[in-house]
Amino acid sequence: MIQFNIDSWRAWAPELARPNDWAHRSKTDRERSSSTGEQPDVSFLPAMQRRRLSRLARMVFHAAWPLAEGQPPLPFVYVSRHGETSRTFSILNDLARDEPLSPTQFSLSVHNAVIGLWSILRADNSEMTALACEGDGLQYGALEAEALLAEGAPAVLLVVAEEQPDAVYDDWIDDVPFSYATAFRLCKGHDWTLSRQTRTTHDEPYTWPHALNLIQVLSSQSSFCQNQGKGHLWTWQRNA
Amino acid sequence: MSLLHLEIKNLIIDALGLEDIGPSDIGNEQTLFGEGLGLDSVDALELGLAIQKHFGIRIDADAKDTRVHFTNVSTLAAYISARQAVA
Repeated sequence: MIQFNIDSWRAWAPELARPNDWAHRSKTDRERSSSTGEQPDVSFLPAMQRRRLSRLARMVFHAAWPLAEGQPPLPFVYVSRHGETSRTFSILNDLARDEPLSPTQFSLSVHNAVIGLWSILRADNSEMTALACEGDGLQYGALEAEALLAEGAPAVLLVVAEEQPDAVYDDWIDDVPFSYATAFRLCKGHDWTLSRQTRTTHDEPYTWPHALNLIQVLSSQSSFCQNQGKGHLWTWQRNA
Repeated sequence: MSLLHLEIKNLIIDALGLEDIGPSDIGNEQTLFGEGLGLDSVDALELGLAIQKHFGIRIDADAKDTRVHFTNVSTLAAYISARQAVA
């Protein structure tokens, strides 16, 4: 069991810019939003700096940047299960056509590319971590963030983001109903309790993204949500 | 500005994702790397690749004068013309 405060949060998904939109988002809203390819605004960065940001990176920057403004340097825990799958897919296509690979695509296809760019563009050399933990990433990210708070970090940015991959992945990737980026600024406190129970049933874990469940709780002022992972049942409880 | 110059400028903009910049914003003699336009070493690799694909020429990345050819749009145009003439 760990406790912390969620000082501030932001989320982005296609057509969902305002916090209020999230409260009304239904879980049946599964859609292939990447067909629209809508990208969030990152015009707060000069053009020369944003030119290498993938759509996923733009989503992360758009969601997290305002949470870092006016703050001291902040450790960053970045969580994504599928990461830069779009870049990898594009590289694989080039390989299949026997074409030379784009150095930019290649160098930015790694999982920690986003935090590398974040660190450079914010000139912040705090500890930054990129995680991929199946469907439980939100919670393992929160554990990591809490550990950083315990080590004395004033606050920690926790970002969970997924880009809906190309349709060829549909048979394998079923936990990204639409592209989304969620960002939470965590600090010490007791407003929230996150606890973990071992699951005893063998049902398939629920594929609705855990981070979106938490956003729903945050935006609706409800006090509680449970996220089923592969081996654990995670409970988020609002205490204040 | 010759057609080739324009083609190179458009290639630079497209290959390197230079949002907010048009071909007329890049001077023929403007330094591309470091100073001037402010491109970096990853851009150099990316642009080299784009030029090879687009113009169907081979660039030897280790050749001593390759760096000189990539100074600005004019030097690139002269280099590409020369290579196309050979091929």
